[in-house]
Amino acid sequence: MAPRDKAVEVIGITKKFGSIIAVDNVSFALTKGEIFGFLGPNGAGKTTLIRMLTTLIKPTSGEAKVAGWDVARKPDRVRREIGVVPQAMTSDLDLTGFENMDIYGRFYGIPSKERRARVNDLLERVGLQERANDLVATYSGGMRRRLEVARVLVHRPKILFLDEPTIGLDPQSRRVVWDFLRKLREGDSVTIFITTHYMEEAEALCSRVAIIDSGKIIAIGGPDELKSQIPGSDIITLTMEAVSQALVETIEHLPYVHRVNGKEGSIRVYVDNGAQDLLMLLDELRSSGGKVLSATVHEQSLEDVFIHYTGKSIREEEAKRVSFLLGAGIPQKWGR
Amino acid sequence: MVAVIDRDLRKFRRNLVVLAVSILMPIVYLVILGNSFQGKLQKLPLVVVNQDSGPYSRSFTERLQAVEAGPKTLKILTSRNQKDAIEGVRKGRYKAGLIIPPDFSRRAGLKGRPEVGLFLDNSDGISSETIRSVVMGALGAAHVDYISIREKTDQILIREINLYKNVDYYQSLVPGVVIMAIFLGTLTTGAFNLVMDRFLGVDESYLLTPLSKTDIVAGLIISGLSVTTIIAVLILMASVLITGIAFSGGIRSFGSILAVIVLTTLSLLSLMFVILGRFNHPRIVGILSGFLNVILFFPSGAIYPIASFPQWLRIFAKVNPEAYAVDALKSILFKEAGLEGILPDIVFLSVFTAIMMAIAIATFKRTL
Repeated sequence: MAPRDKAVEVIGITKKFGSIIAVDNVSFALTKGEIFGFLGPNGAGKTTLIRMLTTLIKPTSGEAKVAGWDVARKPDRVRREIGVVPQAMTSDLDLTGFENMDIYGRFYGIPSKERRARVNDLLERVGLQERANDLVATYSGGMRRRLEVARVLVHRPKILFLDEPTIGLDPQSRRVVWDFLRKLREGDSVTIFITTHYMEEAEALCSRVAIIDSGKIIAIGGPDELKSQIPGSDIITLTMEAVSQALVETIEHLPYVHRVNGKEGSIRVYVDNGAQDLLMLLDELRSSGGKVLSATVHEQSLEDVFIHYTGKSIREEEAKRVSFLLGAGIPQKWGR
Repeated sequence: MVAVIDRDLRKFRRNLVVLAVSILMPIVYLVILGNSFQGKLQKLPLVVVNQDSGPYSRSFTERLQAVEAGPKTLKILTSRNQKDAIEGVRKGRYKAGLIIPPDFSRRAGLKGRPEVGLFLDNSDGISSETIRSVVMGALGAAHVDYISIREKTDQILIREINLYKNVDYYQSLVPGVVIMAIFLGTLTTGAFNLVMDRFLGVDESYLLTPLSKTDIVAGLIISGLSVTTIIAVLILMASVLITGIAFSGGIRSFGSILAVIVLTTLSLLSLMFVILGRFNHPRIVGILSGFLNVILFFPSGAIYPIASFPQWLRIFAKVNPEAYAVDALKSILFKEAGLEGILPDIVFLSVFTAIMMAIAIATFKRTL
């Protein structure tokens, strides 16, 4: 891959907050025009990473180039090339949808005629043209998010960063956002960097995925490529009255079983042919005296890849540190 | 309901600074308020033009010097030229000018009707009243010593000349009211909007745009300026009408007033930016606003003359932009001073604004 094909290039980037290492020596690169997903649980360092790439916080060490510009040395140039949808809603509630987009366009110095056409076009593309002149305060969460996704495109960014864009959205709004992003990539050949903790989102959208946990990238590749790294194609999950070590070993030795994970009353069995193998497995368990409360079969997903690498599925977010003296009203930096 | 109380108290307890400030604040208020209404005026500059070398005038000026040395109410300066002295009062260098005419001693000796002229800067009612009574006292005493007891003291005439139209107490408060309006305007615009953006988390999308620090800081200051100027002008017009100030300065005076309002607003807006620039909770602004109002407004001379303050508070008044704003507005409204009369105030406010804005831009954080 020639350097000029790279939309984003990250080399050994690290961010420390005091003694906490939020992002730990992360390296990767994005090819122009791809949708790249950063998948990880809450608190894995996704937002910190995106904020470093979008010039909002300075890396402790390491280097990142976005659209060919160094984020630490040329933040102004980077800002002109990117569009960012932060995790929090950032549209102004006391402006209308149109005004929000129009003013945003003025931040980038887009001439008014071009701006008006562009804003109207984008509002239509996210299905908000009828509510364009209503205050954002009257919008639902999904509408507001759609507005923000549209707003960030006013200045035709080359690279789009979205931090958990569909968090808390209803399925309909989520679909609108997905379709919109796909069209963007095809029509406008925008490079898209997205963070998410929804496995199905990463799978539905991304051509490549990096799995991040505790600030480190633990796997990177296409969704299918990642899935192929774990044995079997289907997973049987059994809920049992009791799970003993002996039982796990028995299952492990069955010919059609690739792998078994057992803990606290639930067993995950990796097999190739779920429906067929489930019946055989249930017979086996019945004869060995285990009592099965429920059984499900599903095709492997990125969630299983995640569990495969980390041994866990989701984790609580690190508490935001708040100064004992000043409460939540002071700059974060002083609070540390 | 107990749960409501509990929730509220918990939130309060997590903000220990707010708690500490709420305890400290009344004490600060007391010290500042107490000292800015202390009453005893000191070192009021009085220029004396003594054209008489006779015994009566000597005795009279000695009395005045005794006041200068003792209670320190006056600071006596002398001048030979009557015109210079009056001009000095007009320009605000002196609070009053005392003219002792050449025939003062002769007339007093001959039991004629001796006269002195007292030119008063009556735009500051409290100071001019004090000077008047001190001069009266000195005259009375000089008289008793040198003139026979039968002589009636009221035979000495103070020819009192008020340099300006009479200003009643309500009218004298108008500059303060305008400054207060400016203060409140600058508090709810400019940097406050930045704090609210941070509080709501919408600052993130600002910071992601190519806007420079100067764009953001200056942009917010200028928008605050337009709102605050309109508020201040409306308040000024309303209070001029209510208190009945005969405003005869015409368009030029109005221009000067507008210039003072604009510069005061800019000074305070940039000061707010420096102080509030990094906070992200409106409660902090609430607490600080009360504090700032007290430490800026009461020592500004809007209500009681700066001459009555103790030394430390007077030094503070020297760097307090509101003190210059009050002085400038009083000069324009009550002394009909033109732009040149308020030049020192204009210069101070401009320099103050420039320095504060530079600090605000330098300390503004372009990252999260």
